[in-house]
Amino acid sequence: MAREVIELLHRLGIDELRERQRISDLEILTMGISFTVYSDGQNIDRSWPFDIIPRLISGAEWSNVERGLAQRLRALNHFIDDVYNDRRIIADGIFPAELLEDSTNYRPECEGIHPKFGVWAHISGSDLVRAGDGQFYVLEDNLRVPSGVSYVLENRGVAKRAFPELFERHHIRPVDAYTDELNKLLTSLAPDGRHDPMIAVLTPGIFNSAYFEHSFLAQRMGAELVEGQDLVVGADDCVYMKTIQGLERVDVIYRRIDDLFIDPEAFNPDSMLGVAGLMRAWKAGNVGIANAPGAGVADDKCVYAWVPDMIRYYLGEEPLIPNVPTYRCMYDDECAHVLANLGDLVLKPANESGGYGIVIGNRATDEELAAAAAAIREDPRNWVAQPILDLSTAPTLVDGGIEPRHLDLRPFILTGSSSYVTAGGLTRVALTKGSLVVNSSQGGGSKDTWIVDDVPTADSPDRPPGRQQQQSDGVATLQDGATQSQDGATQSQTGAAPLQDGAV
Amino acid sequence: MALLSRVADRVYWAARYIERAEDSARILRAYGDVLADMSGTSMRWRPLVTISGSDVTLPAVAGSDEAQVAQFLIADRDHPNSIAVTVEACRENLRTCREVLPREAWQTVNDLSIYVRGAAVTSVERRRRDRFLGRVIDESRRLDGVLQSSMTRDEVFETWRLGRYLERADMTTRVLGVRAATLLSLPPGATDEFGEVQWMSVLRSLSALQMYQRATKGPITGPAVVRFLLFDHRFPRSVAGCLAEMRNSALRMPNHATVLGAIESADRELRRSRPAADDGVALDSAMEAVQLALSRLDDTLHQQYVVH
Repeated sequence: MAREVIELLHRLGIDELRERQRISDLEILTMGISFTVYSDGQNIDRSWPFDIIPRLISGAEWSNVERGLAQRLRALNHFIDDVYNDRRIIADGIFPAELLEDSTNYRPECEGIHPKFGVWAHISGSDLVRAGDGQFYVLEDNLRVPSGVSYVLENRGVAKRAFPELFERHHIRPVDAYTDELNKLLTSLAPDGRHDPMIAVLTPGIFNSAYFEHSFLAQRMGAELVEGQDLVVGADDCVYMKTIQGLERVDVIYRRIDDLFIDPEAFNPDSMLGVAGLMRAWKAGNVGIANAPGAGVADDKCVYAWVPDMIRYYLGEEPLIPNVPTYRCMYDDECAHVLANLGDLVLKPANESGGYGIVIGNRATDEELAAAAAAIREDPRNWVAQPILDLSTAPTLVDGGIEPRHLDLRPFILTGSSSYVTAGGLTRVALTKGSLVVNSSQGGGSKDTWIVDDVPTADSPDRPPGRQQQQSDGVATLQDGATQSQDGATQSQTGAAPLQDGAV
Repeated sequence: MALLSRVADRVYWAARYIERAEDSARILRAYGDVLADMSGTSMRWRPLVTISGSDVTLPAVAGSDEAQVAQFLIADRDHPNSIAVTVEACRENLRTCREVLPREAWQTVNDLSIYVRGAAVTSVERRRRDRFLGRVIDESRRLDGVLQSSMTRDEVFETWRLGRYLERADMTTRVLGVRAATLLSLPPGATDEFGEVQWMSVLRSLSALQMYQRATKGPITGPAVVRFLLFDHRFPRSVAGCLAEMRNSALRMPNHATVLGAIESADRELRRSRPAADDGVALDSAMEAVQLALSRLDDTLHQQYVVH
């Protein structure tokens, strides 16, 4: 299929592509698909950036990624449940106790709680990158309030209208089922005996950068979109929402607020976003909360380094998707290696998200490196380092025509009594040449991600099955597969440790 | 289905704002139209500011010529009742309750808002104004059409209707209180030359001309126009018609006793204004009384469904 897409792009020509891009942009504008950025103290509702050229991933490869992500989340959930209860992994000497003691995401209020199915991180979005060796790596696990899934669904809608001819002829795995799966998962979290539960999406409000998504998900699930001010916890430790008819019980809350802000009674007393008493209601089993408060303890750039060990420890399996090798500065030998090789590493503070505080060794000035070294010596527990990866690229429509741009991928994983992984995920692309920054708030764009089961449809006589193999082999430029950017691989190989799981 | 109080409030205000934008567009369009028939007279634009309820915002000393008033009513970002601001306010309210309305409803408003943002400033000029106002009216109607044809008759729908009709009733009383009262107050004979044209314009500003003619089959006279716009409950922009629609919606809302009561008292106030149809001064104050009753109804809705 990759060849066919390329042929189509050539046949259409740059003018037609630009015209289709223009129509897609207009569609995004009029449908009001937007995200909010903070700039100069103002919140600006911006149109969602979308590149019409899709990113292709083969169905066979994706099936393995799916299994790997489901496996990873099962292990992470075992871990969270373990650290708030028995702490076997610490007793068995696999995971260092001191990491928990000073984790900013550990919530002592959650100790001794057993959420349904033993699951804490119900909804997660792990960031994947394909490195120079053609292999997908997990870059980080987002277990708190990962966002982006609404754009996966919206991008698909726009892509279908941009390239109807391709959807007609190929099996591109649909993504629309996500909200239904999410609905089922949330329903399963309702307190026992509550049939036909009331589900609410708890948003910080219109000024949040992901408000569009909160609204979108509520809409698609027929759930209520609530703000903290809409909810109240009664003397019976149940959660109620204020409706035009008075108070009505809420059974499950999909919270899109950081756990420190969900309950001023239990956590940050200054929070205006949360609901006083929510933790009480949750502990009493009167409301299901996704993700569970405290789930963020496993979403920590330090804890990340132990995920492969968790998979082996809890599941007795080998990880199906590798970690990026990670040096943990809390250990003297690894820290020494990091300090000696600053220029070849990406330095990450453990508890920041959204790319804040990250230093990319080969792009930093000497002063920045010196400052980072000082910060690492000051608080080694708070730092990890990874080799500089060469992110894969995909053809992207930019001012100069079609050019390669770096990208990453955020699939979304649902975990409850069973697991579900989106077909593909959110592909974010750095629109600036050579840039690795894919964040939409910093000039990044997005692409629709096509998981293609390359079976020709019966009604495409021009593509007899016999030629299939040959065609796919011949072209790998669009399909973001193994053979791109060989020199990149060399670079990252020489730059740091070999890209193998657990190499350190 | 439950309806959050906060969401009900937003739906209600979205409806009021889009109706306000649409009504302003109608009034402005009809005024520009009658102006074409009355070249040579010193047509005054100031009354339009009075109708919009914004005399305070645009002080008398400020300009009152056509360009200034049109700018003020269409594009002024600092005027809370300008079309640009009310369309934006509708969009902002809907943006926070998208999950309870059909998706096309949001898209219609978003589309209109994009258009207004781009075109408002350049549409003040008479040559382009009509097209702009026509688009505002069309989109507002399209929005109603989307809801009418694709929305469940739930509490959100009824809340929307309550907002729409309350705003519409209020606007009709404002048009009558300002323009009709002025026309009625002129000394006999003074309106002869353009009297009919002016009364036609009053009807047009409420899209009522054709329906008035079908209903009365007689010549256009001031008192008959006033009576039609106040009391013909079959006409959906008459005050009685709006109150009847509100009554229908209120009956489908939970705990509606206080709301029905407030509608009845607005209706009583309306019936009390019947003798004022021939007298400009009396009409002006009667319309004020109806507006006050509508404002009490608004307050009742707020107390019953939002703050309670």
